[in-house]
Amino acid sequence: MNKIIEAIQLCKHFDAIEPVKQVNFTINRGEFVTLLGPSGSGKSTLLSLVAGLDHATGGQVLLDGHDLSKLSEDELALLRRDHVGFVFQSFHLIPTLSALENIAFPLYPVKMAVREKRDRARELLAQFDLTDRSDHLPSRLSGGERQRVAIARALVNRPEIIFCDEPTGNLDSTTGQEILNLLLKLNTDKKVTLFMVTHDTNIAKLSHRSLYMKDGEAS
Amino acid sequence: MINTHYLFSELVHRKRRSLINLLLVAIALAVMIFVGLLTESLQQAFQAPLADIGASLTVQKSGDVPETMNGPVLPCSVAPISNDHISRIGSILGVQAINEAVLIWDFQADSFQIVVGFDPEDTAGPALLRGALANGRFLKTGDTGKAIADLTWATTHNIKPGHILKIADRDFEIIGIVDSSKISQIATAQLYIPLADAKAIASGSASINAVHHFGQDDANLLFIKADRDKIEEIATGIKAIAGKKTVVSTPDSFKEMLGSLFTLTSRFSTLISGMTIIASLLLVARTTAAGVRERTVEIGAMKAIGWTGRNIINQLTAESFVVIAFGTILGICLALLGAWLVSFQSIAIPIPWDMAPTPHFLPGGEEQLSRDVRLTMPSPIKLIGVGAVSALVIGLTALITAGRAIIRLKPSEVLRNE
Repeated sequence: MNKIIEAIQLCKHFDAIEPVKQVNFTINRGEFVTLLGPSGSGKSTLLSLVAGLDHATGGQVLLDGHDLSKLSEDELALLRRDHVGFVFQSFHLIPTLSALENIAFPLYPVKMAVREKRDRARELLAQFDLTDRSDHLPSRLSGGERQRVAIARALVNRPEIIFCDEPTGNLDSTTGQEILNLLLKLNTDKKVTLFMVTHDTNIAKLSHRSLYMKDGEAS
Repeated sequence: MINTHYLFSELVHRKRRSLINLLLVAIALAVMIFVGLLTESLQQAFQAPLADIGASLTVQKSGDVPETMNGPVLPCSVAPISNDHISRIGSILGVQAINEAVLIWDFQADSFQIVVGFDPEDTAGPALLRGALANGRFLKTGDTGKAIADLTWATTHNIKPGHILKIADRDFEIIGIVDSSKISQIATAQLYIPLADAKAIASGSASINAVHHFGQDDANLLFIKADRDKIEEIATGIKAIAGKKTVVSTPDSFKEMLGSLFTLTSRFSTLISGMTIIASLLLVARTTAAGVRERTVEIGAMKAIGWTGRNIINQLTAESFVVIAFGTILGICLALLGAWLVSFQSIAIPIPWDMAPTPHFLPGGEEQLSRDVRLTMPSPIKLIGVGAVSALVIGLTALITAGRAIIRLKPSEVLRNE
């Protein structure tokens, strides 16, 4: 099956507000798709729905063949653990854990040898040129380093798709470009599917395809 | 699966929150255990004057004052208790044994002596003087016309074993000397004689029978051994049998002599402990909930990257339990330290006037008698058990508080940028 995400007549409403209206789209494996749109257009809500962070109020999302509307909160968490990686604008690292521990963090509740968890995290730490920051807490890392740790964390469970919510939004342009290059490399070299929410049309130009969101509708 | 490294990282890096929770648990348990130990220690102290003489409670009866101070008389605090009443008291549920005694004041032309008659085979009352023998031999069953003397009184009057003394115009041979001060301030006398002799003196005395009717098998002091849990019910039962003028002394009698502070302490100890536990429970629940609020974004991220609600609750519960476990240990240590320090203190327990054998009109008779009791540290095991269960309740409350918040939390709501 080539489709990794399929959104069919997807809706979300909070009382009278409907940030996502009858959205239909598909994303194929290995694609890099950007989701553009002004603030408040419903981009992050749509990302939450297709990534299984929230339940839709109408329609259907199929993520790697799983109908998300039929899964409980915990089943969604397990699906995310096995198939999905996240990169957030604000990094959302655990402030009390070191860079290495943050990378291994998604594996903590997984039944796996501690050595294997550590080896996977170390491998990513080296891959993202963070070996000398291994023991540093997030508070002692620069913005770029934090986002690199966050990307490494998103990859530790070897996901098929990574959802990125404005991953360069909190970074200066040079660091932002560096992070973007890392993500593009993952897509081209490792064939990891990327679905990225962004304001930046320059990033959109680098993607295979863009969806544009306005007033809850995608085109 | 709980990650211990993450657990201790959280506790160490969020020192303030961890310490506040730990101290709340420790203080609550320390107060609860300490108040409990102190109350139990005081209860044991209040039992000491009676425990000295092997009794759970004593019974006397108030009566009329003697008409004359000639020959043997009964002090007004020890009127006769009839044999029938004694038998009925013996059948009250919880009464294990009754030891009778007869206390007499003997006025002679040029002297006065306090005399107590008892059965040397008794297990409570003056029979315990057997362990305080200083010279000669103790009374034994079948003795008649024999007496033992108190050491202080004998020394003052230069009395030694072999001396013959008059008690109610009868001859008694001193066969031994006992140190009464070693057992109690209660039911002490200057001369101790066989119970049968004392009953014969009392029932045959014109001066006594002019005021009371003292039957051949009556007594005027009872030392009762009873179930500790039933003492108050037994006291009520005795008064119902022997009448309103009956004076029943229980550990509570000594407590009341010490005033309202001790009565309040013991009466409200459960309340104080309960309120402390409830207050700390609410505070721990509140700080735990605040901790979850503080970590809302972190918990949202945990959920997003694949931690289930159960994974997160297990992890946070483990954090709470570590804090509570250390708080419990600290609380127990503080309570035991406090109780240990208290065990170096003594309290003077006043003896009610009607239990003092010395007439108030004699030198020293008006002095308030008291028994100095060193407070002991009772076994804390039961209280520690209660404390540990309370800590568990605190932990469960914290878990419920945190769990509900965690389950409700949606990662999409806390992680959104728009």
